[in-house]
Amino acid sequence: MAGRATTVIALSLRGVVAFVAWLCIVAAAGIALSPANAAGALNVGLQLEPPNLDPTSGAAAAIDDIVYANVFEGLTRITEDGNVAPALATRWTISADGRIYEFKLRRNVRFHDGSDFGADDVVFTFDRARSATSTNAQRPIFERIETVTAVNPFTVRITLKEPLGAFPIYLGWGDAVIVAQNSAASNATHPIGTGPFKFQRWRKGASVTLVRNENYWGARAHLDQINFIFIPDPTAAFAALMAGDVDGFPNYPAAENLALIERDQRFQIVFGAGEGEMLVAINNAKAPFNDIRIRRALNYAIDKQAVIDAGLFGYGTPLGSHFSPHHPAYIDLSNRYAYAPVQARRVLTDAGFADGFTTTLTLPPPAYARRGGEIIAAQLEAVGIDVTIRNLEWAQWLEQVFSNKAYDLTIVSHTEPLDIDIYARDDYYFQYNNENFNHLIAELRKTSDEAQRNQLYGEAQRILADDAVNIWLASSPKIAVWSKDVSGVWAHAPLQANDFTKADIANRAPVLAAGEAKPALPAFTILFVLAAAAAIAVIYFSRASPAFLASRLAGMAATLAAASVVIFLLIEVAPGDPAAYMMGLNADPASIAALKAELGLNQPAYIRYFTWIGGLMTGDFGVSYTYRVPVADLIAERFWVSLPLAMLAFVISTAIGIPAGVMAAARRGRPGGRAIITAAQAGVAVPNFWLAILLVLIFAVGIRWFSAGGFPGWDAGLLPGLKALFLPSIALALPQAAILTQIMRTSMLDVMDNDYVRTARAKGLSQTQVLRRHALRNALIPVLTILGLQFGFLLAGSIIVENVFYLPGLGRLVFQSIVQRDLIVVKSIVIVLVFAVIATAFFIDLAYGIVDPRLRRRGAS
Amino acid sequence: MTGAVSATKRRSDPSFLAGAAITVTFIALAFASLVWTPYDVAALDIGAQFSAPSPSHWFGTNHLGRDVLSMIMVGAQTSIAVAFLAVGIGLAVGVPLGLCAAASGGFADEALMRSGDLIFAFPAIILAILITAIFGATATNAIIAIGVFNIPVFARLSRGAALPLWTAGYVMAARTVGKNRFEISVEHIFPNLAHLLIVQATIQFSLAILAEAGLAYVGLGAQPPTPSWGRMLAESQTMVSFAPWLVLFPGLAIFVFVLGLNLLGDGLRHRLDPRRERGH
Repeated sequence: MAGRATTVIALSLRGVVAFVAWLCIVAAAGIALSPANAAGALNVGLQLEPPNLDPTSGAAAAIDDIVYANVFEGLTRITEDGNVAPALATRWTISADGRIYEFKLRRNVRFHDGSDFGADDVVFTFDRARSATSTNAQRPIFERIETVTAVNPFTVRITLKEPLGAFPIYLGWGDAVIVAQNSAASNATHPIGTGPFKFQRWRKGASVTLVRNENYWGARAHLDQINFIFIPDPTAAFAALMAGDVDGFPNYPAAENLALIERDQRFQIVFGAGEGEMLVAINNAKAPFNDIRIRRALNYAIDKQAVIDAGLFGYGTPLGSHFSPHHPAYIDLSNRYAYAPVQARRVLTDAGFADGFTTTLTLPPPAYARRGGEIIAAQLEAVGIDVTIRNLEWAQWLEQVFSNKAYDLTIVSHTEPLDIDIYARDDYYFQYNNENFNHLIAELRKTSDEAQRNQLYGEAQRILADDAVNIWLASSPKIAVWSKDVSGVWAHAPLQANDFTKADIANRAPVLAAGEAKPALPAFTILFVLAAAAAIAVIYFSRASPAFLASRLAGMAATLAAASVVIFLLIEVAPGDPAAYMMGLNADPASIAALKAELGLNQPAYIRYFTWIGGLMTGDFGVSYTYRVPVADLIAERFWVSLPLAMLAFVISTAIGIPAGVMAAARRGRPGGRAIITAAQAGVAVPNFWLAILLVLIFAVGIRWFSAGGFPGWDAGLLPGLKALFLPSIALALPQAAILTQIMRTSMLDVMDNDYVRTARAKGLSQTQVLRRHALRNALIPVLTILGLQFGFLLAGSIIVENVFYLPGLGRLVFQSIVQRDLIVVKSIVIVLVFAVIATAFFIDLAYGIVDPRLRRRGAS
Repeated sequence: MTGAVSATKRRSDPSFLAGAAITVTFIALAFASLVWTPYDVAALDIGAQFSAPSPSHWFGTNHLGRDVLSMIMVGAQTSIAVAFLAVGIGLAVGVPLGLCAAASGGFADEALMRSGDLIFAFPAIILAILITAIFGATATNAIIAIGVFNIPVFARLSRGAALPLWTAGYVMAARTVGKNRFEISVEHIFPNLAHLLIVQATIQFSLAILAEAGLAYVGLGAQPPTPSWGRMLAESQTMVSFAPWLVLFPGLAIFVFVLGLNLLGDGLRHRLDPRRERGH
């Protein structure tokens, strides 16, 4: 009887006591070992994880957030106050006709891999950026370069096709940082620059770690280490701040909590000039918005202050045109169309829309857009315009709104500095076209005199306001929240970047020795070997007949094949171009096309299907579009969070559910039994994400026993890892435990009604003895199926809970990949999860044979 | 369980009564909200934002100054409509499939049950998220995504319960008088499954409420301005530290309603399916 020992042990009261004791130990250890903030290290919270770390081949602002000025440097750089300063070029001269630039380069500069920096790197960088296969998001700027040549090892001459007044500014952007030929290809995953910090490690979905570059050419940085920790969820951001998991956020995502943070002695709030212009973009080419009267009516209908109060929680300055209030050329036009709903109605009536019209307001994911959208919709409804709100993910928004211009109204924030010239672009999504304006911008490009430029900028602002191209809502400040210990960080953000060269943190503790990322493959291999061993053991002990095994295996294969087709078909119809998503808002169409070709997205569907399947067979899952690393590595890395989480939750749920179910059955009809049933019924009804929020609120924000989320990685030690998984596993386990309790109880009662149980009772065995010897084993058989299903659910179903706790697990990876249209990751994870579920069911089937010998003879079926 | 014991329980089953009362209350609230809510859920009142619960706003107001109680009432509509239709899909497609499988047996039976297994093999939440993310986040797609998973549930249930009935005496009798399999399924088998289906539908309904809340919470359910409980939670999560009522009440609404449905389901099982009845 192979099963007796295990079941009895699992179910004995001693087991329960041991489990409770274990819980206490974990909790106590958690409290005792609160993470020593690895300082000297600065933990910086960021809302967005970049898709890769190469600023010269992707446009995502999140890349510059990390690497600009810290890891990579350009010939020039943009300073905190928005000016251009020398960086890798010490000085430069401009020819009289404005076409030839000569840059003198800094000497004794080395890349992080030890190679020397020189003129050939500059030539390589710009030739690469303007080549036909370039995926640089600002390729059109580099295409204006006619030649770039090395005059000598430390002098570079760049000849432009035509004069470009702002060229030194462009060279200070992240897209123009200097990369070395031998490391350019791997910069996406392992950036090698010349900056004051070196890249150390990227834990996908969790953090990027930089360490000080001791061989930096300039002043040595103060910080030993910077950990950028990705926390997409604003709630989690607040919780992480309160729990001390991060030292601050350069862009704090939940303005609604600022009043609360202000009162907390531990923090400082830094308001800086932001470049974001939040606006309602209007499709100027689409009726009825091609009528200027309609656009003006829309402008009159919006109360900008109300949008700022409720959408930005008061943190914003009303705008009247597309220009930052911090720039000297700014003109306040915010009252050009002061809030006047009556006027709006009158203008609408004049334009022939006395009864209003119907329109759609398309919203991208950020909170300002979603919150602002509800207010805008309500205000437009108030003047008789019927508004339907449509929420889109970024990938869909980029495709439908930005690329295809299939929209009426949308809300978005333009964060690029001095980008008023986008209104002169031919094919931009506003679809605005005004010859006078285009002339003005052309004039501006050629002008280098500051006063003259500012005057032209002023004129441009007025034209846009007169034409009511868009509804400019507000300029929002850059809101940073830092621990009081942090100093030397940028207050302003003239471009999206966080320069930590001069940053420092007081009360330093020694840096935790963070090892290099352990290779993912051995982990996967170990897992595979373990699984195979378990499989062989189960198959052996179940003594299933070969025919039975063969038929079940064939069934498994068929199900997997069918599942792969379903997944592939679903993914094929998914709208949203992954390449467009990766290249961001200002990307050049040619760069997007180049990226598509590089990713193999141009091949016909059936070829991609068989490539995928063929790869799966050989363990090659392909390469992630966004992360640019093998999907197998990505899955393996995340698996080590999701699997322990599922196992912990499984242990907790089983340890609670089975004894509780047994007790409820044993005490049927008595108060104890009823209490258990009631608790179980309540447990089933609790949404696990609500439970998760409440747990964070109580245990992380309130009494601070546990951190609010995140995962330190197993190399930080077993206990910190378990501690990080504890709250999430409770949130996952409790509802499952409740279900298990109910099923276990029912199953026990079924068995207890049987004759042999009554007989055992009649011959004088005690209730406990009867339960243990006779009822339990039989009652467990149906419960096994449920356990199998639950394990599959826990593995796959943690998606929402992982989000609340920002755990870098499989669930969050799949959700994030769906949103980012990294479809190769999505389909591979789903098929892996399906495989896990099917395999679990298969083993449960075999396990029946162990628990119940009568079932071993099923071969014939 | 003897009949006498069951009979006494029938008269005084407090949890069944509580479940029925909760369910009826929520449905009544949803219907009431069609014609009346304390405040207009679409109107903005920025001046009254973040009002704590008070006699004028029982459950407080949110960041737009909207009344939380009114939003919960209208949210009940969304929840109930989505869950009702999703379970409806499961019943309308799953039951005929299950009956067919039981009636025909053989290859058709095997094929139907295997495709059910296929759906069960997919992690439900991930597929639902995939469906809504791909086809757009709307209430309709949420209904379909949840409904798909209800089909095999009802198909299996009705097949499993129908199979033994085919050997019952009255079915044999019907066969001998020349009725075909379809007629027998409709006239004899289905009526004997109805009670099981009602019980299961109640349980699935509560699961669908939870699923809808989960989808809405990740932004894939009904879209604004239509209030929904899950989205109310998601939107106000960041404000929980100073406006806890925004997270408390929608969460409680989900919890209480699902609890009520489960109690009702259990109670119905006692009444309609005495063989499976397990005393409290």
